[in-house]
Amino acid sequence: MYTTSHILSHSPVATVTAMAEQVLQHYPTDAVTIISGPRVAMVQLRMQESVANSVFNAGEILVTETRLELNGTFGFGMIIGNDPTFATALAVIDAALRLPGDPHADLHTTINDLGDQLSTSQQRQFAAANSTKVEFDVF
Amino acid sequence: MGYIAARGGTTAIINAEQLVEYLRLQGGSTPLELIQIRDQLRHAVGRAMNEGALYAPMLAALAVKQAEGDSIEASFLLRAYRSTLSRIMPTLPISGEAMRCMRRISASFKDIPGGQMLGPSQDYQIRLLDNLIASETAASVTAVLAAYEQLVDAGMSADGAIGYFPKVADYMRQQQMIAQLPAEPDTSEPYDITRTAISFPCPRSARLQSLAQGDTGCLLTYAYSSVRGYGDAHPTLAELRFGYLPIQVAHPLTGEAITIGEISATECEIVSKAHSVAAKQNTPRFNLGYGFTFGHGEVKAISMAILDSVLTQAKAKGLSGESGPAANEEFVLLHSDGIEASGFTAHYKLPHYVTFEADLKVLDRAREHTTTQSQTRLQEIATRTQEASA
Repeated sequence: MYTTSHILSHSPVATVTAMAEQVLQHYPTDAVTIISGPRVAMVQLRMQESVANSVFNAGEILVTETRLELNGTFGFGMIIGNDPTFATALAVIDAALRLPGDPHADLHTTINDLGDQLSTSQQRQFAAANSTKVEFDVF
Repeated sequence: MGYIAARGGTTAIINAEQLVEYLRLQGGSTPLELIQIRDQLRHAVGRAMNEGALYAPMLAALAVKQAEGDSIEASFLLRAYRSTLSRIMPTLPISGEAMRCMRRISASFKDIPGGQMLGPSQDYQIRLLDNLIASETAASVTAVLAAYEQLVDAGMSADGAIGYFPKVADYMRQQQMIAQLPAEPDTSEPYDITRTAISFPCPRSARLQSLAQGDTGCLLTYAYSSVRGYGDAHPTLAELRFGYLPIQVAHPLTGEAITIGEISATECEIVSKAHSVAAKQNTPRFNLGYGFTFGHGEVKAISMAILDSVLTQAKAKGLSGESGPAANEEFVLLHSDGIEASGFTAHYKLPHYVTFEADLKVLDRAREHTTTQSQTRLQEIATRTQEASA
């Protein structure tokens, strides 16, 4: 249901950081090259409005971004908010999942588990809202 | 009394700033924590974000604290901070249909696909001050959190739903109730008023961006004026939704969509009751207006949607009767930015000694001129009186 980036960006930073550290244990320190960041910057929100289905700029969103290479493979991490650790961990995982031969396939199990937790959490959140479902009577 | 140009005042200014801090803390109360402001003053935080045009809840909480709750000052602080940041990229376009809804209502149709949820709303409460909130304790907070669990149990569905709903506007479009907007010049990129000063007539994307960062009170006033009689708006709420929007950007290497988190947002469509932008040429249809805000800002989203609808119809010359100031796009968009308006108004507090000195000189010359004319007239009267006596 969810993509990997959707799951990771909605997961606790401590969990994602632990996953990244688990990846880094397999490499010497110089296997990671920071290309840029982590830096706090903005992305411009493009909304598709529902009247003419046109796109407009609805404002900026504060993000933190990291770009790096892990063993020569590019990794990109971006997260809403000011969180350099989160962005860097996402970049490490992004690169790890792109490495030739999929040496970190074990991450998929953890990501699937996180996806299940996210699904449960969002179902509960919606259930609370759903308890306010209303049927208005007409006179 | 002399009026002269001035400079300096540094010590007084520094002391004045210290006095502000003293007034904030003089009562000896515990300093507010940002997370308290973010969580418990979410409407103030949301307003600072959408008028500051920067989604950053913790920074907005800081702005609200620093501004001592002054909403325009808080949004000013946030927008000023925004100018120090670089923009990396745009997000991928996102529709409100992707929102995980916590609230979704319609005043147009009783039964909408998926049903209506009141969600977190104070709309139906009696406006009485709640003394229980004034005396909250850890135990009362625990009780509220426990009651939440009961809501979860009451609303849990077996289908694993998380709050995705179709748009009421899409249903109305399918039923051919909605007028097509007049075609605009095709541009690949939406207008960006942060890069190019707005000029008129402006494209729809410029209008919506401008309204989205407009002052809530100002948009409310303009929209209300049009509804109340100084205009031609007859709005009905097609749909109002509040919830969480996932945000995606393109991966810089592969181009695939990457989710970077979600934001809270409010979206609204307003349907006009009796008009169509194309009514003169085609079958009469309703006109829609669109509103969007960061956070939970329903009054602003509704006001924005009303103004969008009015401005669209005014542009297409589809209004009947008095159009009113809210139908003047240039007037509305150039005066609805609270930060610009308050900045301009507040600048009158700063020294204007040189310009006022010029005004004084003009006043002196005018007085001299008046005195001279008066003396001349008196002399004429005296001369005529003397001649008559002789």
